[in-house]
Amino acid sequence: MSGLGGRDSDAEGQATPRPEDPPVLRVAHLSKAFPGTRALDDVSFDVRAGEFHALVGGNGSGKSTLIKILAGVYHGDPGGVITVGGREIPAERTSPDAARAAGLRFVHQNPAVFPAMSVAENLAIGRGFPTTRLHNVDWRAVRRRTAELIERFDIPARPDSLVRDLRPAERAMVAIARALQDQEGERSGVLVLDEPTASLARAEVVRLLGALTRYAASGQTILYVSHRLDEVVDSADRATVLRDGRLAGTLEGGELSEGRLIELIAGRPIEGVFPEMPRVDGEDIALEVRHLVGGPLSEVSFTLRRGEVLGVAGLLGSGRSELLKMIFGAYPKRSGEIVLGGHTVSFRDIGDAMRAGIAYVPEDRGGEAAFMDMSVSENMTAALVGRYWNGMRLNHRRADADAREAIGRFAVTAVSEHEDLATLSGGNQQKVILARWLLRRPTILLLDEPTHGVDVNARSEIYNLVRKVVSEGCSVVVVTSDFEELSHVSDRVIVLNHGRVHAELTGADINPTRLTELAYSTTEVAS
Amino acid sequence: MSVTKDPVARGATFGSESRDPDHSRQRWLSLVERYALVGVFILVMVFFTFWSKTSKHFLTTADVQNVLGNQAVIGILALAIIIPLTCGEFDFSVGSVAGLPQVLCAGFMARLGLPLVVAIAAAIGVGALIGLSNGNTVARIGVNSLIVTLGVSTVAVGIVEWYTKGLSIINHISKSLTNLGNGNWLGIPRTIYFLAVVAVLVYYLLEQTPYGRYLHSIGSNRDAARLVGLRVERLILIAFVLSGALAGLAGVLLVARNGGASPQTGTVADTLQALAAAFLGATAIKPGRFNVPGTMIAIFFLAFTVTGLSLAGVANWINDVFNGAALFVAVLISTIVGRKRAGIG
Repeated sequence: MSGLGGRDSDAEGQATPRPEDPPVLRVAHLSKAFPGTRALDDVSFDVRAGEFHALVGGNGSGKSTLIKILAGVYHGDPGGVITVGGREIPAERTSPDAARAAGLRFVHQNPAVFPAMSVAENLAIGRGFPTTRLHNVDWRAVRRRTAELIERFDIPARPDSLVRDLRPAERAMVAIARALQDQEGERSGVLVLDEPTASLARAEVVRLLGALTRYAASGQTILYVSHRLDEVVDSADRATVLRDGRLAGTLEGGELSEGRLIELIAGRPIEGVFPEMPRVDGEDIALEVRHLVGGPLSEVSFTLRRGEVLGVAGLLGSGRSELLKMIFGAYPKRSGEIVLGGHTVSFRDIGDAMRAGIAYVPEDRGGEAAFMDMSVSENMTAALVGRYWNGMRLNHRRADADAREAIGRFAVTAVSEHEDLATLSGGNQQKVILARWLLRRPTILLLDEPTHGVDVNARSEIYNLVRKVVSEGCSVVVVTSDFEELSHVSDRVIVLNHGRVHAELTGADINPTRLTELAYSTTEVAS
Repeated sequence: MSVTKDPVARGATFGSESRDPDHSRQRWLSLVERYALVGVFILVMVFFTFWSKTSKHFLTTADVQNVLGNQAVIGILALAIIIPLTCGEFDFSVGSVAGLPQVLCAGFMARLGLPLVVAIAAAIGVGALIGLSNGNTVARIGVNSLIVTLGVSTVAVGIVEWYTKGLSIINHISKSLTNLGNGNWLGIPRTIYFLAVVAVLVYYLLEQTPYGRYLHSIGSNRDAARLVGLRVERLILIAFVLSGALAGLAGVLLVARNGGASPQTGTVADTLQALAAAFLGATAIKPGRFNVPGTMIAIFFLAFTVTGLSLAGVANWINDVFNGAALFVAVLISTIVGRKRAGIG
């Protein structure tokens, strides 16, 4: 791959910006109060020129608010100052135009590219199409300029490739190129990326981070917001951590480790974050899956013991979500048997599975679980509405009382049970969804990425709740792409690879390195 | 009512001193949001009562009785339309579907000499059948509900035209039915009692039964509703059947009120008025949700405003403009409220 500019990271090592370089972006004493909350409280930090600077923090830590103030979507409270490239902007007077003029460029989660249009069209939309004297689009000029950008940003695509044919990481690169294309100097300004990897598979993340590290090495300043701490440790020069709207600290290269980050994000040492699950030795089998075939699954068999947490590892597309849905009766299976408590069951629909004691928390909270414009109470009781029917009417009072009790028990931060779910942070929404299912007292709990887009604190609370139901005899199947998490919470792990159980791990074998190895490996492994 | 946080929950916790004023302000704003339509309604009533051009007739017993009596049909149509709207589907056919049972009800009595009860049952049955067909096409086959019901609506208008040959059916209509449509009980038009009963039933259905909660869930997030075990297709199908049956009942009331059936009543214009009331109603009482009390307030707000305007001698075309503008503004406000609630705006 052609290098960007002069500094090639491989040849000369990472060109770390020196502390004496003047900061390109300085945030000073930034505060922001919303009705009822202080989203940001006196936050100050610097981003140096040519630095890959990560901004991390849990949900509700204020990082999205900070990005929105930088972008001019919100105004900060008076007193704060944002300095970009020597230009001072008072926090209460930020605007999209000021941000743009100062050289801040934003690329958001799920970059807004147009899949059905070509790379050239996608790039041209950011700055307008050049036209000929007859006012029709000058396609030759478009293609020429696209070719330059493709070269500059090292995008492995042709100008007329359709964006939908590109890999997800490359689509993000197109969005980045579009955001940066009109900079005066090749590497001036600050590129702000808001969780660009949130919806990317691991291999795509590696690809995108590779590109970003190359941009940084050639002098591009990057402010990078992410939930994924391993990315931050691998790629960032420094990381600023926010907690509860305040600055928790900025970590320099040497002290940057996943453990330190978690401590700052959570405000407590790492040991407390994942509850260790008690290991089971009971032989009482709760669920047995025999030769399950359908969708991406070519043949899967496993057993789940009572009171056990079975982890399912696998890459995106390995069939892990479909496996859970098939057990829940929400995905058609071609053949195979599901044995529940000794009896072969065949569910006609999801209701049958629910009545048999199965609960399923889907991966896509917004799309498949949350009723955003309904209240916390309605969300919590959504899977057992019938319980509140007293023959005459729905007993709203009893439902609300149960919801209030659950809000306390599941440590949901909410003003009241009548609040819309949308007003809660992601972690609290997830706790509400989990509560919805745990209120049914399931015997088998299927969790698909239960901590996706959830901050460290909520993550540990979610697993505490899981541990609690497990100690009461519930069996859990958990799917997560975070292998660190998986190794902490599982008693046993099966690794799915190409629709088959590729390996089964127990005890000390369950560790992130081994799991990564097995999930990515393509050869058969003896288990 | 504030639920205290468990100490483990470490969201944004801030001093209670800073929260209280903001909190009462928010509660105040939400009150304003909920009762804005009621306030505007009262203002309109006061205005027409005292404005010299309208004060002579507006709010006289005869005028009020007339307005109320005429709104029962539109009111029932609006209630019919909010059932499928609650689960996120349009039933654009209610107006014309009221028109067809109307002429059938009158026709069965006039041409076939069937007893009143049979004619009424047949009318409601035909409405329910059309609803079943709508629901089947929308829920099971997955065709866009707006297109399906718009098509069915046009077909219904055509059948009415064929059945009546463009003429009203006014002979041999049961006297007990026409008395019902025109008399008063305790000074209130009898049709209003029908509207009240239907309103209470639909309120009960949407707010007090599991079925109503299921419809709300489907309207909020269909995939999530499916994954909490709801049989989404069947529930939507039932919503259309109920909507069709209520439209059939509205058709019967049309006959009762007008003393016969006319191809000019029960049309797309009625659907639009009902739709305007439904969307306007969704901005009040329970903002962001289609709800029965809001819809009823909207019905009478629209009716009294139009009456006031005509008493003031405003040309007839103003009515259409006003109803259309009300629908437009209502949808605009609902969308803005909805975006705010979903956290987008």
